[in-house]
Amino acid sequence: MATLTSEISAAPQPAPERIAAAKRPYPGALVVVEGIDGSGKSTQLYLLKRWLEIRGYRIHFTEWNSSPLVKSATRRGKQRRLLTPTTFSMLHAADFADRCERQILPLLHGGYLVLADRYIYTAFARDAARGCSPHWLRNLYSFAPIPDITFYFRAPLDVAVNRIVAGRPKLKYYEAGMDLGISLDRAESFRIFQERILNNYDQMVETDHFVLMDGTVRVNKLQKLMRQLLGERVDLKQFAPKKK
Amino acid sequence: MASKSHSGNGASSNGRSKKGKNGSGNGHSRFYGLPLPGVRTEDLSGSLIVVEGTDGSGRSTQISLLTEWLEGEGFAVETMGLRRSFLVGEDIDGLLAENSVTRTTLALMYSTDFFDQLERRILPALRSGLIVLADRYIFTLIARAAVRGIGRDYLHGIYDIALRPDLTFWLNVRPEVAFDREFKKSQTISYWESGRDMSLSNDLFQSFIRYQSMIKREFEYLSKRHGFLELDGEASVSKVNGLLRKRIASQLGIQNTNYKPSHALAHLWR
Repeated sequence: MATLTSEISAAPQPAPERIAAAKRPYPGALVVVEGIDGSGKSTQLYLLKRWLEIRGYRIHFTEWNSSPLVKSATRRGKQRRLLTPTTFSMLHAADFADRCERQILPLLHGGYLVLADRYIYTAFARDAARGCSPHWLRNLYSFAPIPDITFYFRAPLDVAVNRIVAGRPKLKYYEAGMDLGISLDRAESFRIFQERILNNYDQMVETDHFVLMDGTVRVNKLQKLMRQLLGERVDLKQFAPKKK
Repeated sequence: MASKSHSGNGASSNGRSKKGKNGSGNGHSRFYGLPLPGVRTEDLSGSLIVVEGTDGSGRSTQISLLTEWLEGEGFAVETMGLRRSFLVGEDIDGLLAENSVTRTTLALMYSTDFFDQLERRILPALRSGLIVLADRYIFTLIARAAVRGIGRDYLHGIYDIALRPDLTFWLNVRPEVAFDREFKKSQTISYWESGRDMSLSNDLFQSFIRYQSMIKREFEYLSKRHGFLELDGEASVSKVNGLLRKRIASQLGIQNTNYKPSHALAHLWR
């Protein structure tokens, strides 16, 4: 029996260098940070943002899961625990599509440097850990522009998990992957869930050309490296304030 | 008139109808691709019957009548339709009222609505052996998004994990007829059913006809791809209902296809 799709365009993405050579359809650039909770990615992106902001660059910062569009549905679904792996994933895709079509794409076309704290790889790693098919997920997000550079912050599981657990009184139900029935103990479930996500991220280092960042390196040292790597990959001059 | 098929692989000659009322227990054939995470297809003993067609095609009328007939025959019936999920049904109503939502977001909100109903209401019903009557299904969602420029392969990729219906009827009506019926019913034509977000024409009638013609072309393509059972939606309610009953009766093994609506539904019988 034939499947609905004969062929889904879900192949691993081409290298950023090659896309740059093929010329992107917009003058802007997209910088992404990814990594499990507690890997230090948000701190590093914040510092990168401050650096560019202070110098007056044309930038925009966007976060995963922040659109008002699906806020009420997500809250309703989480509170009453109605979300399945599929609807959890679709709802986040709808949220991302809203940000993509109304912020990210217009800003890229308008020549902005867009900084994204988590991107489609978060969905690939996390939703696959929930049991969604990786192939299905790739198709679901195939409308998303490919980043110019993706920094993947990697910290050993224990380091990352301890950072999260120490700073939080209670892990949330879905955050801990409790819907998967891995373990009745929330901390234990969280750890195993994060381990699965970490493994999924690791598999994308090659296929999606992640730039690997060691999350255990001192904050200021790592930030210096991040700025240097960004400058090598993206022509920052084009986002600098115009001199009159 | 017999139910005619667009491509010759519909009606009783298609492969699905040979499965019999309990569907097939073999592998993934009840799904298009991989089954939804966590679903055992062999547990699904009910039947999923889809009625597709544009507004004004008589879908809802036929579903009301079929529900009464099936319940009279002793079958328990569950229904599904667009924007009826607890999770996001009302959110979509809100988005539609605002007209500010973009096409991919709207398409994904509709698919969230679809899968929430499928996983939390329809699959449990099918596990319990119920007959599910779907007032529209993935095909309307695919057609609406496709005419707005979203790739067909992308859309089929999303719904690849959906349940394959046991029967899919398409009540086909000309856009002009749908216009007359809708206008008569509500004294106006809805923003979305006339595709006004697509800037096709400033004239509402022209916009409606052009939009519905585009949808119809998508349905012709989908009908070939998925083996719809196409019915003339312009025929009388009783005639269409008779054809539906005949085909469903053979699917479910019902001997008696005679039916007269109760007083409560008599007004629908034209």
